[in-house]
Amino acid sequence: MVEPRDDFEQELRQQLQARPAPEGFADRVMARVPKRPARSGWVGFRTPVWQWAVAALLVLGMVVGGLERERQQRIEGERARDQVLLALRIAGSTLRDVQDKVNAGASQQKLSQKGAGRAVLDRDQ
Amino acid sequence: MDQSPETFRAVVERHQARVYSIALRILGDSGVAEEVAQDVFLELYRAMPRLDGESHVTAWLRRVACHRATDALRRRAARGDGAAEEYQDGMALRPVVREFLPLMNRVEQLLLTLPPPQREVMVLRYQEDLEPEDIALELKMPLATVRSYLQRAVKMLRAKAERTLKEYSRG
Repeated sequence: MVEPRDDFEQELRQQLQARPAPEGFADRVMARVPKRPARSGWVGFRTPVWQWAVAALLVLGMVVGGLERERQQRIEGERARDQVLLALRIAGSTLRDVQDKVNAGASQQKLSQKGAGRAVLDRDQ
Repeated sequence: MDQSPETFRAVVERHQARVYSIALRILGDSGVAEEVAQDVFLELYRAMPRLDGESHVTAWLRRVACHRATDALRRRAARGDGAAEEYQDGMALRPVVREFLPLMNRVEQLLLTLPPPQREVMVLRYQEDLEPEDIALELKMPLATVRSYLQRAVKMLRAKAERTLKEYSRG
């Protein structure tokens, strides 16, 4: 154990007292300390509160911009869908008209064929 | 703790001898010791907002100085400067240490012949006057290890000192 403090330990304690640091040590340490930014009109802008506020505004701007773009895209999509539906409706009604005309033409042709057939029978008799 | 240059300078001036001496006695090289001590204070500057009170700063400086000096010793050994062999034989100090010997007292020279972990505990015990329990806390080392290092180191230094004294008296 090292508990009993004998002469040798006293000698150790005496010989191992702290030595003074080399001349100019503190100056050399201070010269290596990073310099703080010089005070200027911009210094207030460098404070963390300002930085957080600017960051928050940027994020807010990005979110609002994103939402607005999404809204524009949705409106454009709806407009395109309406146009397609309108075109389909127009095409549908045109087709119906054409079909009606075709049907009407076909029934007239049948009637005229029937009329012609009866005339032939009458002539043969 | 306040990080202003005035406060920091006052802290450096108050603790420079302590930090420099810890580094010097672990490294045995005044140039490297000053470099390590400067690095320790720059690390302290960055850590100051987290430290509160003088005792906290003192304990922090002791611990970091020991660790950084030991790291420097390890780097030197890895580069093959021969630091690892210097404590194998008390008298076999490597040339760079011998160069600084005139600046160091006999006990400091003998201290450099101990293995680095024993140097650390000896410096904290006899330079910083810490109890083994406090050394164990500061170096995060088991108390039994600290006691064992101290016991072995004192025994070894005593034997070397006696041998040197006999050689001296023989002329």
